[in-house]
Amino acid sequence: MERLEATRAAVELAGESPIVGGVGNSTFDLVACDRPRHFYMWNSMGMASSIALGLALARPDLRVVVLDGDGSILMNLGSLATQRTAGVENLVHVIWDNGGWEITGGQPAGSPFGIDLETVARGCGFPRTATVSELDEFRRVFAEAIADTQHAWVIVGRVARGDSPYRPSKSCIGLRDRFMVALAGSS
Amino acid sequence: MTTLDIKRSGRHQAANAPAWARAVLEAFRAEDIRNLVFLPDTVMGRLLALAEADAQHFFRLVSVHREEEAVGILAGLFMGGQRGAMLVQSSGLGNALNALGSLAMAYHIPFPLLVSLRGELGEFNPAQLHMGRAVPGCLDALYIPHVTLRGTDDLETILSGALKTCFTTEGPFGILLSAQLTGWKPEA
Repeated sequence: MERLEATRAAVELAGESPIVGGVGNSTFDLVACDRPRHFYMWNSMGMASSIALGLALARPDLRVVVLDGDGSILMNLGSLATQRTAGVENLVHVIWDNGGWEITGGQPAGSPFGIDLETVARGCGFPRTATVSELDEFRRVFAEAIADTQHAWVIVGRVARGDSPYRPSKSCIGLRDRFMVALAGSS
Repeated sequence: MTTLDIKRSGRHQAANAPAWARAVLEAFRAEDIRNLVFLPDTVMGRLLALAEADAQHFFRLVSVHREEEAVGILAGLFMGGQRGAMLVQSSGLGNALNALGSLAMAYHIPFPLLVSLRGELGEFNPAQLHMGRAVPGCLDALYIPHVTLRGTDDLETILSGALKTCFTTEGPFGILLSAQLTGWKPEA
């Protein structure tokens, strides 16, 4: 499926959930559907899952969504174990699997070498996981994950290669403030 | 000062917690810093045991598997409205440098960054020397302010002052724990 279409579906179905984007194209496609309750990183690759955990801990009343890249989660694979250790269930972690590092020139990583991120998540103890390849499948599974407030979810979404033309603001402090105001206003 | 009698096995006992650990937790309590995000070492273990035993259950301990994760978690906590502290050894600071620069500094995420210093006084492990003595230089290179605690004189003043500046600066603030304060292990 196309990452931009799947991102639009996730934003539509996420309701009031804050959404953390992974570095690079995961964030850029999220910018295409911009909302104040999106957090965009310009660097610190791998930190999207950790930021999401901190948010989930601070705001147990919210269901936190991450739209992460396969390269990003591979850089911080231990964070899946950390999420389970922390015991949060208010997390829906989507990993866009396009088989590599997109923005740097399409070098292969992860699934082309047989790495199965859903199995990694299962091995870390995530109670609900799925791998989807088609948009309608993704919509169904993601909606189920958002509604399932008792469990943390990891969803691996197989997406096509391709760069996103969108970019967030370069004011990091502005992005932080906008996000914090949006969070303070939601419950 | 002689080497401290540090247990080599088993859990640290809160009742035996040193005065500096009590002072750190009281300073955190006064600033509503309730999340302790850590990868333990023997020094931090003594502070963490005291925090776990807190009668008011004020502190939440969040363990990570690589110290870099703590920076992301503290960013999420702060943006979600809660303060936290990062508790790592000098070796762990090395594992967190890019996140400290490109997330904590760039996005103005304030938190005390407690670092137990290896490689300075009483060091038995040759591999600890390099990152241990690089700590002040690395923090300076990232423009992260820091103080080094070497004794119990003025401890409360330095801690409360450092924390106040931390939140005014809106970035990480290093509080470095010298082995002069915490003691050191004679061997592994």
